[in-house]
Amino acid sequence: MQGAQIMIKKILIVDDSKVARIMLKKCLPKDKAYEIIEAVDGQDGVNKYREFTPDVTFMDLTMPVLDGFKATAEIMKLDKNAVVIIATADIQRKSAEHVTALGAFTLIKKPVKSELMQEVLAAAELKLSKLPGVK
Amino acid sequence: MIFSQIFEMVNVGIVILDKEFKVYKWNRWMETYGKIPAEKIVGASLFTFFPDLNTPSFRRNFKAVTTFGNFAFFSQNLHGHLFPFKATNTLGTDIKYMQQNCTMGPIRDENNIINYVYIMVHDVTEIAVYEQKLLEMNIKDPMTGVYNRRYLESCLEREFEIHKRYKKPLSLIMLDIDFFKRVNDTCGHQCGDSILIECASFIDSNIRTVDILARYGGEEFCCLLPETRIESALSTAERIRKKIEDHTFHVNKTKIKITVSQGVAVLSPEITSPETLLKIADSALYKAKEDGRNRTVTIS
Amino acid sequence: MSSETNDIFSDEEKDILQEIMNIAFGSATADLAEVIDIFVELSVPQIHLIPVGELPDFLKNTIHAYDETVIVDQKFWGDFSGSGLLVLPSRATKEMLMLLADKEPEVSFTKTMATLEKESLVEIGNILIGACVGKLSELLKTFATYSPPRIINGSNVQNAFIKSFDPSQTAIVLKTIFKFEHKDLSGLLLLLANQESIGWLRKALHEFLESYE
Repeated sequence: MQGAQIMIKKILIVDDSKVARIMLKKCLPKDKAYEIIEAVDGQDGVNKYREFTPDVTFMDLTMPVLDGFKATAEIMKLDKNAVVIIATADIQRKSAEHVTALGAFTLIKKPVKSELMQEVLAAAELKLSKLPGVK
Repeated sequence: MIFSQIFEMVNVGIVILDKEFKVYKWNRWMETYGKIPAEKIVGASLFTFFPDLNTPSFRRNFKAVTTFGNFAFFSQNLHGHLFPFKATNTLGTDIKYMQQNCTMGPIRDENNIINYVYIMVHDVTEIAVYEQKLLEMNIKDPMTGVYNRRYLESCLEREFEIHKRYKKPLSLIMLDIDFFKRVNDTCGHQCGDSILIECASFIDSNIRTVDILARYGGEEFCCLLPETRIESALSTAERIRKKIEDHTFHVNKTKIKITVSQGVAVLSPEITSPETLLKIADSALYKAKEDGRNRTVTIS
Repeated sequence: MSSETNDIFSDEEKDILQEIMNIAFGSATADLAEVIDIFVELSVPQIHLIPVGELPDFLKNTIHAYDETVIVDQKFWGDFSGSGLLVLPSRATKEMLMLLADKEPEVSFTKTMATLEKESLVEIGNILIGACVGKLSELLKTFATYSPPRIINGSNVQNAFIKSFDPSQTAIVLKTIFKFEHKDLSGLLLLLANQESIGWLRKALHEFLESYE
């Protein structure tokens, strides 16, 4: 059903740094209530995606066990409509190209500010609204 | 009010550029030494007036300053000068351009964004001249005016490293005046000294500017020839030997003729240290003496 | 994070510091690609707290084969003060020159090969140290001023700058390995700061997280 506005309710944050997860949570819009799930590495991220099917996933790149590139690939395999947003400080063109090729929705630069977060979430909601068989 | 006066009166050149290299401010010092009034250059690109500054290195440093907020340094001993201004107090030397130490740094606005870059220009010509004089006193042989042994050895080390890195050839000539003791005994020490001085200048006029000539011992000279192969080195050595042989030295109305013996060595992959190169040249010199003097020898 | 002196940073402070390091050095890597047009990778930095008396040994162990390295040393001041050291193998000097030259470097009338090499080492050192200190300062809402960088011999490192550190104090050492892509060339970047800076740093870390949004 085109035109139905999707609201993001469930967010998965995958980052091995607790502080990074806190920072991302802090810049989420304060007026919305989100269900936030956290994962501490790429593998944990894939498992939690399977378990909780979040609307949006924020993914760090350098993590132990399974890095962000591989975790993104796994998640896209699980769900080709997954919205995975890469959050990283090192935004060299080649990394951006690599993650886009893997299916990531977009790449945002750390440290993320709340204005950018709002824009990115709005863009994600737009994409989710356009998907067929919207939930 | 106070700061703009300081900006104009300070004894340092200050240029402020925007991110497109256009001149935003040009202080009185720059006007005076650059002979360009502020009205003329403000608003124009720096490169219009100083096209030689438009190098990848300058742009790279500028970009680093605007991106990271650090400083960039253009030191006199590496760059000489940034702005080609005429030198005003050269202390009698033939320095053409003002020697400068320059620093580039960020200028931030209220939001901490870097929109401008300053360049400060310090005239260090006098200091550079003194440094040069001090250096020369330290590296030259006071009597003959050519380099001393210590300096030659440090140059040899440096050239050795460069040879290894860039695979460029390097040759060495070791030269010794034949029967010099006899000359000294016959005509006296002062006369001997004059001959050494004249001999040194003879050799000097037969080598290139990049070659390094040093007084290695009492009557021994050593010449380092960077980027020179054996054939070239031998031909230079022979030319020197012949000229000295043909020349008549005049000291205190006495006519004196001398000859020199020379050993020539060239760097090859088997030579693993600068000292070895010296040793080989020395052995060649020894052979020249043994074989009858007044000749050039190389050991292959 | 190595914790030779565990009580200087609380666990929370260590976490914040590590993330700040990740952001600063990652950001520096990205910007360096634009600025020097060469891809250089900066590893995630390790943080060490070392009593100043033990610094010489720590450095010796960290910088293997002292004699075959060339080091660019630069001091910086501000809320965060200390020294930056760029450590490269001596054979890298030629590579550095090639990296920055736009064509085959020529010995000109006024510049010898040795000068050209020095120039490029000093320039790279200035840019890399400036990038890391700059990004770190930016995140922590401060800025640094810098001294001109100079080249010191590997074997001289202990004398060259340890004097500026008070032996009764603890130094913080941030260690990164940087690697030039497409070139088999890597080196070490060390940022050393003294105890006063650590005091300021702890406050700044809390400030950072508190005011973050």
